[in-house]
Amino acid sequence: MTNQPQIELLSVNKHYGGFHALKDINVTIPKGSFVALVGPSGCGKSTLLRSLAGLESISGGEIRITGKAVNDTPPRHRDVAMVFQSYALYPHMSVRDNMSYSMRLRKAPRAEIDAAVADVAAILGLGDYLDRKPNALSGGQRQRVAMGRAIIRNPKVFLFDEPLSNLDAALRVHMRKEIRALHDRIGATSVYVTHDQIEAMTMADHVVVLKSGVVEQQGAPLSLYDTPATKFVAGFIGSPAMNFVGGIVADTGRAVTLDLPGAPSLPLARTMEPRRKVDVGLRPEHLSIETGDAPGIETTATSVESTGSVTYLYCGGSPEIVVVLSERERISQGEPVRLTIAPDKIHLFDPETGAALR
Amino acid sequence: MSAKRHTRLLLTAAILLGAIYLFPLYWMYATALKSGSEIFAYPPTFIPRGLDFGIFAEVWATRDMGRFLWNSLVIATGSMALVALLGTGCAYVLARYRNVWIDITLFLVLMLQVLPASLMITPIFVGFSALGLLDFPRFAVMLAFTAKAMPFFVILVRATFMSIPAELEEAALVDGNSRIGAFALIALPLARNGILVSAILIFMQAFGEFVYSKSMIQDVTLQPASVGLNGFMGPNTVEWNKIMAYATIYVTPILAAFVLLQQRIVSGLTSGALK
Repeated sequence: MTNQPQIELLSVNKHYGGFHALKDINVTIPKGSFVALVGPSGCGKSTLLRSLAGLESISGGEIRITGKAVNDTPPRHRDVAMVFQSYALYPHMSVRDNMSYSMRLRKAPRAEIDAAVADVAAILGLGDYLDRKPNALSGGQRQRVAMGRAIIRNPKVFLFDEPLSNLDAALRVHMRKEIRALHDRIGATSVYVTHDQIEAMTMADHVVVLKSGVVEQQGAPLSLYDTPATKFVAGFIGSPAMNFVGGIVADTGRAVTLDLPGAPSLPLARTMEPRRKVDVGLRPEHLSIETGDAPGIETTATSVESTGSVTYLYCGGSPEIVVVLSERERISQGEPVRLTIAPDKIHLFDPETGAALR
Repeated sequence: MSAKRHTRLLLTAAILLGAIYLFPLYWMYATALKSGSEIFAYPPTFIPRGLDFGIFAEVWATRDMGRFLWNSLVIATGSMALVALLGTGCAYVLARYRNVWIDITLFLVLMLQVLPASLMITPIFVGFSALGLLDFPRFAVMLAFTAKAMPFFVILVRATFMSIPAELEEAALVDGNSRIGAFALIALPLARNGILVSAILIFMQAFGEFVYSKSMIQDVTLQPASVGLNGFMGPNTVEWNKIMAYATIYVTPILAAFVLLQQRIVSGLTSGALK
């Protein structure tokens, strides 16, 4: 992996009539990296990907691929391959013809096409299906054909538009690994759009979180988890989602008092401005049950779900606090519990702007 | 039990209505085979007594039907080709792009569908006459009929194109197609059935076209079978069996084609409605 950027997005803007879909997007994608664009539906992640492919034109800014501005380059001259959410396989062509379509368009010699198809089919395990039409394939097989159609191009950049969202859960986990393995083997740059933060976290080297057309935060997956820049990112990354409780910093600046019955106080690992209103973020997996006499959040377990490996504990009413316990705790519904958290695991956010307070 | 009776009742009603609707067609066949006196007999006979199939050959020869049908064929084929050639591109654009101008165009197209041929013929006649198009009367009819039939074709084929996901063409664009290439190599083959079926329907309509042909084609050697049939019926006509024989020869091929293609036509027309 060299440091030469493969894709540069420089203050990219996109308007649909009066709707501002992308607002000043700046992202640099190094060659050979796997980047995930993640966000809730309508955040502009697909629009950004389609702009990269050239299927949408941008209203302002510049898109560069290997240093060359491609704003006015049609899709066919950008040397990108795209895998669509619906796979978009050509229904009137066999698997072989689907995969070799791009080669046939540029009039590659017959022998070269046959060799490439055989290669890709072997990589994806599609050898027995080459003469079938897409409608005679299962969902997973269609997905592979869509991948094959991209791989055979040997492009500079792979674009994935939620490619796994039509598969069932087990297959999705399997294909996740497979796509990442393929990426590592081929070494091309990949941009992957998903609304599923687990996919983004597990597959990508670099995650870009989008919300309403704005980049909320970008960085390595774990840095987003450990130090979210905004309340939105904190709530979006991690499953189950982070608990948020209103609160106020104590007079000493070394503790925070929560807006919960009994006004529990949690010690902080750093000194904050006293009497400042804050939103307190507590990750479910960082909360634990205090059995000794250390102070904590006094509440009751309203519901307990055990999956065997972990236990989900739903506590209190408004707001409800979710706790994930990896130990098997014998807690029954309605039982009082006291929750504690390590001071350095507490996230604080500005209630107005949502920005993280560090 | 009552649901079953209900179904049977509806079925009976449907068959009855169908029979009433199709009775004139039967009457045409029956009358063609009756003798002169039987046609005017009272009460009328529903099944002709003496079957005389020789009447078809006789009518074919005396009325010069080969020429008339040839003209019908020329006009129908030409109209169909023009409509399909011009209408497919139009339908594609109307299906793929969405803005105010497209909506206005669509509205105008639908409005054209409403205007009857008998109303349009006067301005068309005057215009064509000024342009000198009436010197090529069959071509003039093709043009006029193309304009008349276009909205019907465009609306049907537009529905077909709309049922083809736009992502397929986008995939083709990324794969290396130009915009026109994606249309020709992806959208067009997938819309083939809808286009074919709509074109056949246009052909059938054009084959029976009367108003424009009657008004614009003076030369009897260039007139289609519909106008020929009209010329057969004078004010004092008594040869109903011959007129019906003429009609039979004219209609039966279209009818047979429709019955043979019926299943494909229905599936072609409804395929747009399904996924």
